[in-house]
Amino acid sequence: MEYLVLQILPYISVTIFVVGVMYRLGKWASARIVHNIVLTPAPPTLGGAAVNYAAEVALFRSLFKGDKSLWAGAWIMHFALLNIIGGHIVGFAFLGEQFKFIGTSAELSKEMSNLLGTTFGIVIWVALLYLLYRRFAINEVKLVSAPADYLHLLLLLGIVTCGNLMRLIPEYGVHYETAQTYFIQLATFQPVHLEHINFIFVLHLLLVQILMIVFPFSKLMHLFGMFAERWIINRPYVEPAPGLPGVKVSASSSTTTVTAGGKTTAGGV
Amino acid sequence: MAGEKKYKAPNKATVAEMRALFIDPVPDERKVDEALKHLKYLVEKYRPLMLAMESCTKCGHCAENCHTYLGTRDPNNIPTNRADLFRKAWKAAYTLEGKLFGKLVGAEPLSLDTIEKMYSYFYQCNECRRCAMVCPFGIDTCEVTFAGRQLLHWLGMVPKLQAQVGAAMYRTGNHTGLPKPGLVDTCEFLEEEMLEETGVEIKIPIDKPNSDVLYIPSSADFLLNPNTMMGAAKFFHYLGVNWTMSSEIAEAGNFGLLFDQRYTMRHNIMRLLNEAVKLGVKKIVWGECGHGWRTGKMYVPSMADRPIPVPIVHLHDEVSYYIRTGQLKLNPEVNSNPTTLHDPCNFVRACNMADTLREVITAVTTDFREMTPNRERNFCCGGGSAILYDEPEMYDLRIKFSAKKAEQVRATGVGEHGEGYLVAPCSICKAQLYPMVEEHQLGVEVKGLIDLVGTALYPPIKKND
Ligand code: HEM
Ligand code: SF4
Ligand code: SF4
Ligand code: SF4
Repeated sequence: MEYLVLQILPYISVTIFVVGVMYRLGKWASARIVHNIVLTPAPPTLGGAAVNYAAEVALFRSLFKGDKSLWAGAWIMHFALLNIIGGHIVGFAFLGEQFKFIGTSAELSKEMSNLLGTTFGIVIWVALLYLLYRRFAINEVKLVSAPADYLHLLLLLGIVTCGNLMRLIPEYGVHYETAQTYFIQLATFQPVHLEHINFIFVLHLLLVQILMIVFPFSKLMHLFGMFAERWIINRPYVEPAPGLPGVKVSASSSTTTVTAGGKTTAGGV
Repeated sequence: MAGEKKYKAPNKATVAEMRALFIDPVPDERKVDEALKHLKYLVEKYRPLMLAMESCTKCGHCAENCHTYLGTRDPNNIPTNRADLFRKAWKAAYTLEGKLFGKLVGAEPLSLDTIEKMYSYFYQCNECRRCAMVCPFGIDTCEVTFAGRQLLHWLGMVPKLQAQVGAAMYRTGNHTGLPKPGLVDTCEFLEEEMLEETGVEIKIPIDKPNSDVLYIPSSADFLLNPNTMMGAAKFFHYLGVNWTMSSEIAEAGNFGLLFDQRYTMRHNIMRLLNEAVKLGVKKIVWGECGHGWRTGKMYVPSMADRPIPVPIVHLHDEVSYYIRTGQLKLNPEVNSNPTTLHDPCNFVRACNMADTLREVITAVTTDFREMTPNRERNFCCGGGSAILYDEPEMYDLRIKFSAKKAEQVRATGVGEHGEGYLVAPCSICKAQLYPMVEEHQLGVEVKGLIDLVGTALYPPIKKND
């Protein structure tokens, strides 16, 4: 079992993840943006559109304007998730000593790394529980949910719970060094030799790999959907010039050269 | 089998009526297969539709933001569930996860019953895009409704109302089915009316050669909203614009947007561009029609079969420009009734017009009160996409769909003394709201925006002394 999860499955799950995501994105890309369906008010400049785009992607602005509690649950969950994924990468790469780059000592850096990791782990766990609660408690959300919607949350909760157990219960703890070694061995296609691994660690890895396999075939693709859809509806729009032909124009406004205004998408059906 | 009356739905066009739209209805036993083919074609063609199928997280935020759900509490009117009519079939037929896991991931094979359900619920959507505005990803359920109605059209399932209007367009160049003599007569009548009202001789020309501006009115403005027609005429007259309308395309609306975004939409658009060249105009100016202006502004560029010969603008943008540059002398005192503005969804969420409407309305009235929410966050009137059906059970739905609007209007207090104005600068909004303000007893009169511009430019003689 351990051998399967730690040595064989990672190659399979990473391949499925990468190929699956590419397949799905390719399918999206081959569908076209036929009409201009920009959502207004739309800014006249690309810069303005970029600000809106960023506010949606980074801050979930539409959600914030409409539903503060969903926003809080969703944004905090994703913010913690982003940090946790980032934390895994730098933590394992620099063995927790990444904060040396901003001037801390190695020990302090390790402590900070541990503290941040633990905190975000607990935060995301609470946020996920709230999102799950919401799915059961709010009638409208229940009305739109398929079983898979609950399962995604349970899967993430499972992953996070394992992670937190490893953080909080020394018996299940896994050191940055161990993880780093493991990834190096995997990446260089060497047989995996690990000490101090435990059941929770294996389960954590198994669940993460299930997530990776499921990812391209599920709503988790919203990660890319966000960027793709916003690219369609958050665009600049340039209004055609006003002014009617034959009407004498007052001194204050310049003579208008009539242009066929309005940025359009590549047209034609 | 799937009983005709299992779901609330408008009466369908007959075979003859569908054939007038050049569609042969598909018999029931072939419907599912045909529908699956169209489904694949549409989803693989339109990226916004594809993304709606594949990246909704089912967060449920759209539910409380759709007035059709708020008015009926029917779960099928939750935007993402409306999209599920497509999504379930798409997943079941064309995705790996749907084939492997079925119901677990929300997949369900298409059935004749689902097609009937589509006919019901895609025609209970106002295509107002409020769901797109609130969705964290911007998933636009209106796009799903568009595609859904396209598919149904290809199967031969179109409501009588939409089908008859579409056919009238082919035949006469306007939705009301008015032939040229009828248009000319009406205009002469309105000219007399204006002369009597203002003492000024104001023309409403049709097919006048060598004009500079082609005005595209809603054909409902000839009979149902004459004040809107007269308002536009007064505005052009005031500025001395050399304008005309065309009997070939006396229609701002384009029902193609609403049930057939291919031939019907394109036919209407090409008719417009042809006329612009024939009459040699320099600019096309659009009248008060929400979905029509969306088509004119956003879909002409992608549907036209040749470069667009002249700029196309909206009347309100022109009016606000001339107000801004101080070239109109307005008498807002003549419009002193408490006034509120219903923002037509198509204007504010699809055509960038929220500021323009305010620039105009504040210049021509003295007691303007915003409703909340307003601008792009406004709720639809419940008539959007012309689901203006009169069959009792559909009419009842219209009342429910407009419940949110009624609540908003009431909260402004404009109708407290029964003399409020509800300005709704969209032909379909007007058609919906004329009866709805009575049903909900709002104490307001429904007005077009340009109507008020007209009275502020040329106050009625009686009121002046
Ligand atoms: C740029 C990246 C991402 C953005 C902008 C984003 C955005 C969103 C938004 C706006 C929601 C809807 C709110 C909600 O239902 O909670 C959502 C839901 C969700 N996201 Fe993300 N997401 C991103 C990446 C991810 C990733 C990488 C994962 C997991 C691997 C993920 C997992 C989830 C889950 C499970 C839900 C559903 C929550 C629920 O059931 O209520 N997201 N995401
Ligand atoms: S708001 Fe958007 S993501 Fe949420 S359920 Fe509705 S369509 Fe899906
Ligand atoms: S477009 Fe409007 S009516 Fe249709 S689902 Fe969205 S919010 Fe509801
Ligand atoms: S009818 Fe009016 S309010 Fe309703 S969708 Fe059209 S523009 Fe929107």
